[in-house]
Amino acid sequence: MSSQILPLELIDRCIGSRIWVIMKGNREFTGRLLGFDDFVNMVLEDVTEFEITPEGTKKTALAQTLLNGNNICMLIPGSEGPET
Amino acid sequence: MDPSSSSIQEPFDLIRLSLSERVYIKLRGDREVTGVLHAYDGHMNLILSDVEETILIVDPDSATEAPVPVNVAKRKMDMLFVRGDGVILVSPPSRA
Amino acid sequence: MASPPLPDDRSPVPPPPPSFTGSPTEFLKNVVGKYVIVRLSSGVDYRGVLSCLDGYMNIAMEQTEEYVNGSVTNQYGDAFIRGNNVLYISAAEPL
Repeated sequence: MSSQILPLELIDRCIGSRIWVIMKGNREFTGRLLGFDDFVNMVLEDVTEFEITPEGTKKTALAQTLLNGNNICMLIPGSEGPET
Repeated sequence: MDPSSSSIQEPFDLIRLSLSERVYIKLRGDREVTGVLHAYDGHMNLILSDVEETILIVDPDSATEAPVPVNVAKRKMDMLFVRGDGVILVSPPSRA
Repeated sequence: MASPPLPDDRSPVPPPPPSFTGSPTEFLKNVVGKYVIVRLSSGVDYRGVLSCLDGYMNIAMEQTEEYVNGSVTNQYGDAFIRGNNVLYISAAEPL
């Protein structure tokens, strides 16, 4: 049997690194991952929020932030986000 | 604990302390109501009496970024059940 | 306004206590009583002092100001926010 890695084990290995979070709506975040729980609620620091609209992208800088896992769609480890 | 203390341990304490008081409720769909809070449960289902609903009628074609209400309609209900999943915010009367 | 990214003030001091996990629970423990920004998925912001929370992310706040499109639209002495509407809770002062 090959050892199976669980999805959240991969995210656990991202703690301390930057991560790109894509929400179900038109919203994305990047930041350094400090931790998360079983609901994939995430604590990020040095965060940028991207609100993506037809008129352009609005960026907001945030300090330490707890992101509700409810509306998270995808996670991209090690990425600086939509502008890279 | 001092029962008159304004300290609260959990968010629902804020609701519990508002029983029999007039509260402001913000609901999904741009609805707002005020009424006297009689009962609530863990879903935030609410029973209110002497209710006034404020309906903000906005112009969706408005060119401004934040649509300003073109009209405000109000209606009254004697007794109202609010389903908890529509609740966004509950603000009790000022305890200052 | 959102505060600028915080300087890393942990490096010169002794390493964080062994209890440091960075978990959501720990973040919430640190942020109670602090000035926060709560953003709902609708885009509406609430800025105020975080009184307490529960496991559903229901929130009680004090001295709350409601912001829509960057301008204050309401003020509440106390406010209960139902957790399902919450997008994030962000520290608006150093932790």
